[in-house]
Amino acid sequence: MPDPGPGVVPQETEPSRSGPENLLVCLSPSPFSIPLIRATKRIADAQQARWYALYVETPSHDRLSPENQEKVAQALYLAAKLGAQAVKVSGFRIGDEILAFARENQVSKIFVGKPYARRWRRFLGLSLVDHLIWNCGPIDVFVISGEGEEAPPAPAPGPKPRRLLREYLLAAGGVGLCTGLGFILFPYLALTNLAMIFLLTVVIISSFLARGPAIFSSFFSVAAFAFFFVPEYYSFAVANTEYAITLMVMLLVSLLVSGLTTRVRHQARVSRQQERQTAALYEMSQNLGAINSLEELLEVAAEQITRIFDCRVSLLMPGSTDKLEIRAGQPYADEYGKEGMVAKWVFRHGHLAGAGTDSLHAVKGIYLPLIASQNIIGVLRLATDQPDRILGADSLRLLEALGSQVGIAIERENLSRQAQAAQLQIEAEQMRNTLLSSVSHDLRTPLTVIAGSASSLVEGEKNLDAVTKQELAQSIYEEAKRLDRLVHNLLEMSRLQSGQAMFNKEWYVLEEVIGCALAQLDSQLHDHPVSINLPTDLPLVKIDALLLERVVINLLENSMKYTPPGTSLEISGRIEGQELLVAVADRGPGLPPAELERIFEKFYQVSPGSARGAGLGLTICRSIIEAHGGRIWAANRTDGGAVFNFTIPLAEGAITLDKNLPEMQKDSR
Amino acid sequence: MNPIILLIEDDPQIRRFLRASLVTQGYELIEAGTGREGLALAAAQVPEVVLLDLGLPDMEGLEVIKQLRSWSSVPIIILSARGQERDKVANLDAGADDYLTKPFGVGELLARMRVALRKVAPAEEGKQEVLYSLGNIKVDFERRLVFRGQEEIHLTPIEYKLLSVLIKHRGKVVTHRQLLKEVWGPSHIDQNPYLRIFILNLRRKLEDDPTRPQYLVTEPGVGYRLRDD
Repeated sequence: MPDPGPGVVPQETEPSRSGPENLLVCLSPSPFSIPLIRATKRIADAQQARWYALYVETPSHDRLSPENQEKVAQALYLAAKLGAQAVKVSGFRIGDEILAFARENQVSKIFVGKPYARRWRRFLGLSLVDHLIWNCGPIDVFVISGEGEEAPPAPAPGPKPRRLLREYLLAAGGVGLCTGLGFILFPYLALTNLAMIFLLTVVIISSFLARGPAIFSSFFSVAAFAFFFVPEYYSFAVANTEYAITLMVMLLVSLLVSGLTTRVRHQARVSRQQERQTAALYEMSQNLGAINSLEELLEVAAEQITRIFDCRVSLLMPGSTDKLEIRAGQPYADEYGKEGMVAKWVFRHGHLAGAGTDSLHAVKGIYLPLIASQNIIGVLRLATDQPDRILGADSLRLLEALGSQVGIAIERENLSRQAQAAQLQIEAEQMRNTLLSSVSHDLRTPLTVIAGSASSLVEGEKNLDAVTKQELAQSIYEEAKRLDRLVHNLLEMSRLQSGQAMFNKEWYVLEEVIGCALAQLDSQLHDHPVSINLPTDLPLVKIDALLLERVVINLLENSMKYTPPGTSLEISGRIEGQELLVAVADRGPGLPPAELERIFEKFYQVSPGSARGAGLGLTICRSIIEAHGGRIWAANRTDGGAVFNFTIPLAEGAITLDKNLPEMQKDSR
Repeated sequence: MNPIILLIEDDPQIRRFLRASLVTQGYELIEAGTGREGLALAAAQVPEVVLLDLGLPDMEGLEVIKQLRSWSSVPIIILSARGQERDKVANLDAGADDYLTKPFGVGELLARMRVALRKVAPAEEGKQEVLYSLGNIKVDFERRLVFRGQEEIHLTPIEYKLLSVLIKHRGKVVTHRQLLKEVWGPSHIDQNPYLRIFILNLRRKLEDDPTRPQYLVTEPGVGYRLRDD
């Protein structure tokens, strides 16, 4: 046995091999697989190597007892838990498959258990270890001995005896039929061609029946052929030595054919199963990929697993209090809290548990941890009357694969949600910063005027004449009012943006709203004559009057800010279809066409710094108008100036102004 | 003797500014920083007008008004921030007489106080007015006629009633609810749209520019006020 020390790497080692070594441990159904895995794990840890655990599934795997099949599954499971990459391949020659896998994955050391081989195979040097050692090339092979010779794995009882008996009878019947047919054709056919018919029968039988009946049919057909059709007739004695050769060849060919057919059938079965698993995994990943909420994801996963395994599925994840909650799938009764305890244990330890498994099997559900890349994020519960159906090696592997897919999908969903939240936070942060810098500038300007004027009044009491004092006081008053409007706009903005604004919609007359806006701006409007053009028969509109007043104020203020003193402003309104259209127009320089949309963005100013205001006014207008179900947009007038339009949808049953209203009946008191 | 004004306000800066403004105008100012203190002072000193801030540390303004109204009919003027229209209406309907929105100028405050003090002189209100004039508007209550300049204006009975209620409370805000109740009766207090239309019609008949009314002004979100200066 080669020295497993790290320094003794054979000369033939490929020079390209670098980085951590790859080890391979070969598994069998024997209980010795478990210590073998642990031994390999220790060596892999010591060498900081990656390691694979490989099981080669041959046709004989099917003939293993369910206990032994389970042992294989558990060995693979354990290896995976200990950090190995557990792999199952199917093939016919275990040794060749192992070596092919080892070369493919650049394995440098192979670990096998000390084998049990039948005496004659050992004698002929046909044991697996011999095969590996002779054919391994540059790879080291380590044979690890267990506690004494291991017993050969107990063969499975095979198909139920009754079914087997039926198959033997079928095989005998088939050969009997063929013999009958032989009697009919005997006069017309040469003996060799008759032999062909028997061979065909064997092929047909072995392609449908198990190996035993197939071999039986080989012997039986050769015997029947020899008895009935080879001279001496009706005796097993053979007249001519040539016939003896024919019979020998026929027996060998039929045995070979039946063996081959069984192999092909096994191969087909394995690939069908693999295809089914691949399809299930593919469908799951397809379905999980097209989902954008965690709830939906969990629902789809539960549904999919329910469909594949035909059982009751529940998905548990820790809730807000870190307690596991059913987040999707079927609710279930939890007597004495046992189910919950098992779910908790599985969530903490990351091992399969529950009904039919080795640990905590006194419950109704099978619990599988959902493992994401870093930690366990949930538990999958399956409940069925036959847990063995799910815990079989193949379906368990599929279940685990599905579970890890779901785990990763959940993790991905969580991560994307976190990323989204982080993005939102960054945006909010940026907005706060912009707001702060923009607002602090806008607050400072009036504050500077106020502080300056007030200090002049305080300090220069004696030197100032009455007119100057009056002017200073007036500018303090006006700047304070401007400050008030700015603060009001900011509050309105944050209220609208946070979604906390409570709309107080009532029936209002547009004229009155405009009148209030004009009254508030009174002192500022003396430089800009305002003309109002409203039809007298406008219907009432259902609006929040204070907010709409804010829209008109902001639009007027905006127009005053960007147009030279002395130019006129116009407010007009008219009905267009099912909407009331209001326009605030000016005779200023107009807007650059590229800016028509952007001016409604937060903090946007056509020429930053040139004029006053935080660039919030129009954004607030847009928020308010959109909350009323209307639209707002800016345009340039054909004959010069800009125009800001907004619409308010007309409600059903609005009262029109021009109608002669019946005077409401006075209460008789 | 100078009229006594009770100021219930917790902010010392606002108190200082009001003290400076009111004392120079010949009022005697007593100050309270909390609602309880204010109620005690109102009972002890019997002020002629109460100025009440709505953001007191110890009690809701509405509570102060209710307690005060349980034994006193002293005029109460509310000082409130903008955006509290619902509160204003609730306070006015609970018995407050008028309100001022912060920030306000001294001129506005003095005008409100003059209106409030006028109401206190009951002898003048005792007998029915015969003639009322506001700018170029004249109302002859005896003959139920309304003139704009020399021209007689035809008002419907409801419009006339509305105008006379506003004249009764001239200079003072009247909430929608109060107007509907006094003009149409208690069962119509929810008919705001009708009130708006009648006000508009009244403006079209009385005002030079109904969109920018000089006399019949809107108090946004609260009610109407007939200007009286």
